[in-house]
Amino acid sequence: MGVRFHQISKVFPDGTVALNDFSLEFDTGEFVVLLGPSGSGKTTACRILAGLEEATGGIVEVDGRDITGLPPRERGMSMVFQNYALYAHKSVFDNIAYPLKVRGTPRKERERKVREIADMLRIDELLRRRPRELSGGQAQRVAVARALVWDPAICLMDEPLSNLDALLRLHTRTELKRLHAELRRTFVFVTHDQEEAMTLGTRIAVMSEGALVQFDTPRIVYRRPATRFVAEFIGRPAMNTLDGAVRGGRFSAGAINLPADGLPEGPIALGVRPEHLLVHEAPGEGRIPLEVDVVELVEPDTLLFLRGEGVSFIARMVRDGGELDPKTTVHVEIPRKHRHWFDASTGTRIHSGS
Amino acid sequence: MSRGWRTFAIGVLIAVLVIALIPWVWMLLTSLKTRLDALADVPVWMFKPTFEHYPTVFLDKSYLPLVWNSILVASVTTALSLLFGVPAAYVFARHDFRGKEDLFFFFLTTRMAPPISVVVPMFLLFTTFGITDTPLAVILAHSTFNLSLVVWMMRGFFADIPREIDEAALMDGHSRFGMFARVLVPLAAPGLAATAVLCFILSWNEFLYAFVLVAFEGRTLTVGIPGLITPHGTLWGQVAAVAIVATLPIIVFSIFVQKHLVRGLTFGAVKG
Repeated sequence: MGVRFHQISKVFPDGTVALNDFSLEFDTGEFVVLLGPSGSGKTTACRILAGLEEATGGIVEVDGRDITGLPPRERGMSMVFQNYALYAHKSVFDNIAYPLKVRGTPRKERERKVREIADMLRIDELLRRRPRELSGGQAQRVAVARALVWDPAICLMDEPLSNLDALLRLHTRTELKRLHAELRRTFVFVTHDQEEAMTLGTRIAVMSEGALVQFDTPRIVYRRPATRFVAEFIGRPAMNTLDGAVRGGRFSAGAINLPADGLPEGPIALGVRPEHLLVHEAPGEGRIPLEVDVVELVEPDTLLFLRGEGVSFIARMVRDGGELDPKTTVHVEIPRKHRHWFDASTGTRIHSGS
Repeated sequence: MSRGWRTFAIGVLIAVLVIALIPWVWMLLTSLKTRLDALADVPVWMFKPTFEHYPTVFLDKSYLPLVWNSILVASVTTALSLLFGVPAAYVFARHDFRGKEDLFFFFLTTRMAPPISVVVPMFLLFTTFGITDTPLAVILAHSTFNLSLVVWMMRGFFADIPREIDEAALMDGHSRFGMFARVLVPLAAPGLAATAVLCFILSWNEFLYAFVLVAFEGRTLTVGIPGLITPHGTLWGQVAAVAIVATLPIIVFSIFVQKHLVRGLTFGAVKG
């Protein structure tokens, strides 16, 4: 039981294809994050679930019921908008109470529920204010309160944190996570920020060009990216990827030459996360000599931008690497278990047996 | 702005104000003058005011029903124009459809022809329907002019409301109509008030159509004034008295909504 997108497509009147055969299924109670770059169709998918956008093809089901043609009010969902969309002419209290009022909840109960959710979000002091008298963070909480006050089955959030400053965003992120744990409601959260996705989601749906690329827990999305796109999109700095080829059982790309047993012959891409590169000062078996180009201190870590013949890497060293000067040569090891292989043309993950 | 410019600007404003107000003050004084004072060769500024013209014209000559007619025509015109114009304006502000801008421009063109050019066709039309000499004829005529104005002004006010508000209202449980009537219209209320006042004023002031389409019972206040120009001379005091009463609602309304009025008109001009 849960939410099911089945072969959804969406073409806008101007010919833009926002979704192309998009299918996704998840359970109630999950915190699902739709993640992707702009134009990947994540917002469109969310809006189709809300009923604010009509799919060109395909069906949407909730708990086995086809809701594709239903208007938003019959779907039992709420939404937090990026710009919060509070009603400027109503007080904070009335804003939060509005969905209850429209749905015919008696006044007494309205009052009780508004106070309860306001308490939970620590905005009980603000109930008499007008939206224009709120800071960004306060307005955001009011929008969340309005979306949760009437116990909707599913709460949708379309980039709700992107109008907040960095510090507040971190704080609110934690709050949302806490809310989800307390309320055990289904959350669908749209974002382009991979860090937000990693920290919030019970599962992440990575999208690209209107289709689902991978749907897994943050841990798996990070450790076993299904495609080169996911590998490069998740993680900061992004995974290093190198185009090369396997010939005679060995992978080579520029200065790199590694054994590649169990991999098909021909063009292939190698991926390795910056934090998995082992940086040595002395040469050794299987180590690749690379020149340090730039050293960035991202305390407590150090980022090394490395360059070699036809290849470049970013390495994250957990130890202090401040003593390394540009132009020095280091010797990099790519541990076997941290190598990811991707098909050179389709980008899909290739299992190497290791 | 430098001091010099400021002084200059204030000077210009005062000049405009004086030029605009002199006729009205003149009218006010004339309504309080005896016939002799009103027709004096050298304008009399100091005189003993008389209040005889007001009761004479409104009670003895029964101009009071004309005030009622004016109110009826202007109110119903305003209501009709808003009833049809506001939903249309919303659609223009929110939805895209083929030929939208052309249609919008077409609405505006209805105000471009000089009104007098369609007065005869409209008279014939209303004669066919047998509604000439009723307030209904005037109301319909005025509504045709006001409708495009409502669409023009309200489009700007609706466009100013973020689209997400519509969607939030839908998510909060409203139907499409409920969203429009319960959320969008209240949010656009200041603009709505300004538009309503402008409609009311235009209809209230209108002379040509009111004059051509009704002759007797249905006459509005503006049409009543020429009735005071008699073969024995113009009764200036009574003309002024009627005119003063006719300008009062306009002054009151304009003061209330002038801020939104200016905003609404410039909106349409920039965004239309």
